[in-house]
Amino acid sequence: MKIYLFAGLALLLACCYVGGAFAADSAETESLVFPESYSAGGVSNGGTISGVVKFEGDVPEMKMLEITKDQAVCGAAEKYDESVVVGEGNVLKNTIVYLIDISQGKDFDKATKLEMDQKGCQFSPHVQIVPVGARLTMLNTDKVNHNVHIFSSVNKPVNKQQTKNRRKMPLAGVKKAEGPVSVKCDIHGWMSAWIAYVPHPYFAVTNEKGEFTLEDVPAGTYKLGYWHEACGSNSASPASVTVEAGGTVTQDFALKLK
Amino acid sequence: MKNRNIAFLMLIIGIVVGSLPSVVTDAQDAPEASERGKEVYEESCAHCHGTEGRGDGSAAENLLPRPRDFTRGLYKIRSTEAGELPTDQDLYDIITEGMPGSSMPGWETSLNADDRWELVAYIKTFHEGFKEREASPREITLADKISYSEESVEIGKGLYTDLGCIECHGNIGRGDGTSAPTLTDEWGFQTWPANLTQGWNYRGGFDTEDIFKRFIGGIAGSPMPAFEGDSFLHFGLTSEESKRLTELENKDEMTEAEEEESGLFYEKMDAAVDVALNRTEGMELSTDEQQTYDDAMKVVYEKSWHLANYVKSLMPEERPEPAIGNSVLRSQYVQGALPTIDDTAWETFEARYFPLVGQVVIEPRQFNPTIDAVNVKSFYNDTEVAFLFTWDDRTHTVDETDEETGETLEDALAIQFPVKVPQGPTAPKPYFLYGGRLPVYLWHWKASAPEQVTELTAKGVDNVQVQEVQGDLQVTGTYTDGRYKLWVKRVLKTNDKKDLQLDPGVFVPIAFSAWDGSNGDIGTKRVMTSWYTFVLEPMPSSRRFVYPPLIAILSLGLLVGLRAVVQRRNS
Repeated sequence: MKIYLFAGLALLLACCYVGGAFAADSAETESLVFPESYSAGGVSNGGTISGVVKFEGDVPEMKMLEITKDQAVCGAAEKYDESVVVGEGNVLKNTIVYLIDISQGKDFDKATKLEMDQKGCQFSPHVQIVPVGARLTMLNTDKVNHNVHIFSSVNKPVNKQQTKNRRKMPLAGVKKAEGPVSVKCDIHGWMSAWIAYVPHPYFAVTNEKGEFTLEDVPAGTYKLGYWHEACGSNSASPASVTVEAGGTVTQDFALKLK
Repeated sequence: MKNRNIAFLMLIIGIVVGSLPSVVTDAQDAPEASERGKEVYEESCAHCHGTEGRGDGSAAENLLPRPRDFTRGLYKIRSTEAGELPTDQDLYDIITEGMPGSSMPGWETSLNADDRWELVAYIKTFHEGFKEREASPREITLADKISYSEESVEIGKGLYTDLGCIECHGNIGRGDGTSAPTLTDEWGFQTWPANLTQGWNYRGGFDTEDIFKRFIGGIAGSPMPAFEGDSFLHFGLTSEESKRLTELENKDEMTEAEEEESGLFYEKMDAAVDVALNRTEGMELSTDEQQTYDDAMKVVYEKSWHLANYVKSLMPEERPEPAIGNSVLRSQYVQGALPTIDDTAWETFEARYFPLVGQVVIEPRQFNPTIDAVNVKSFYNDTEVAFLFTWDDRTHTVDETDEETGETLEDALAIQFPVKVPQGPTAPKPYFLYGGRLPVYLWHWKASAPEQVTELTAKGVDNVQVQEVQGDLQVTGTYTDGRYKLWVKRVLKTNDKKDLQLDPGVFVPIAFSAWDGSNGDIGTKRVMTSWYTFVLEPMPSSRRFVYPPLIAILSLGLLVGLRAVVQRRNS
């Protein structure tokens, strides 16, 4: 018995060596860059940074999702992969634009409702900014079971079932800034979204017109970063913007596929 | 004498007390990480888990499930709550016992306990979280276990559907849920939900307590969610309150009083969820809050025990014995017509269990089998033999295209016999893998043509011929709830020389191959058995009612005669 086991193991190992070393997938999504510390307080006479993010190059056709189950709910309308959403005029939706090196400024707007819906078996919004420590409420508008799987690695990963009758499920706040991290539903493999856990409020996600706005920025010069799931980030060479008190500065970006 | 008794008693007590710690071992902590741990790791673990602990050793590529990446701190089998790291004892236990159904062996016999503890300490160095950990991890409490009963199983069965277990694990737990084919793990590799009816393949053991822990703590890194209290519907309500709220919610219109009543329920639930989240976020709970939490969790734990009992009810108590020795495959004799596929006659006896293993002798190989075994029963009469084969496969694949090779993949089963039965137990059998110098006779069934079996003759995997004369085989194949059922009937004697001919009482070698299309099985990439034995159990002869009594009468007569002779002589 043992001899067979050893022989089998030897054979296995031999084959594996022939197969060559296995290289881990290095195409890790680039992360956001956060300041070492941030102190929140009042900002008077801050400036505004705004702009438009455009997509450069041939616009990939949006892939129609293959709905493999719960057709009545998930397959009622055609669904498309939202990893690259380009609007009229080649504007790019779902890009995070943010200040990399801000160390003090305004506090989070506590009135903002932090929600992510599971609707028609897609997450909405596709990219969500969540302050560190704040609770994101997962909604289930569908009358089907979902499971909320958040692939955090700095914070504790989350994988919780949200059954069909559970309309709202708040999630515990996280301890550290991280992200963006991928959000999936294992029950419906095509569902995909991103969450960024952030330590300060100077983050924006571009809308369907590709627009972003960062308000109440204390006067000064900052590194302005972006992140997009398919186009990557500019954290290696961010844009530099100078904000004047009460002024508005414009910074546009043109992003290509990675 | 008295002293000796006392001494003996002391000895007994000594033995009992001395053996106690090994019975009730307290969870232990690992020592500080040392060079010794590194040495043992690099010698025994690094081939699969990689020198840096990233799960990328040289053997990793061919393994499924993949070896664990220790740097992420995601451990599947833990006695700790969701999101927590494992205890040292958890890690030690996995190293000691291994993980059934995966390539991780147990090291109890190959490494001594000290070395295993050194390993625990070294493995922990791969993930920062172990160092940063302030308090010991929250362990799942196993107190208040609800013991197994039919009533508990029934409640658990309802929860199995309500909580959505069915989505991945399927209607009756064979891992064939509609979400099963698309599951991936934290690293993006495909992964399959457990076939809950095969407890012996559970990575972390199949005691009710083990199942309960997987349920509460989740299986980190896999799609299996943790059923933390606050993800339960109506968390914070008692069972009665929950029932009442469902009743209210189902009403078309609520009266003002009912609105108020349900409002109170919602408040109570929100408060309980809030406390649970505070606890997860690391806040200290006040006495009142702790009470709220404990009350809410009591209901959760009860439900979870019921569910664990249900899952336990889905599997046999132990892994079946392979069909060797006394349990070779015996075809039962019946008079008259043989039972058809759905006949209840098949349920009158246990099937024989033939474990399948990946074919790793010839390229392409199968290192990651997904079919556990094929179960077989058989009946025969004076002219025919019928077989019933069943095997679990999570997906029903009839024409899937392999993304790499473009080949069409499908599920299949082959039953293999020698063309000529070897005379006597020492006579050579054909090569187990589709024969060689000595040919084999095969029945090849494919899921795409479930009412048909192709008869083949083979002298090796590269020398397979479809027989010119396809004999008179009757076939029915079905797939339900993750299980294939194949019924085949053939005459005992055929006119084809290439066919095996069957006679009662003759021990015939039999072997099996199976293909799971969705697992990439095709050609030699498959699961299989070596030779087993099959026999048409000889019909008990009616002469047994004649000879033994006859001999008894004769013997008696002889004895009486003898006695008479002796008596006469003596007188």
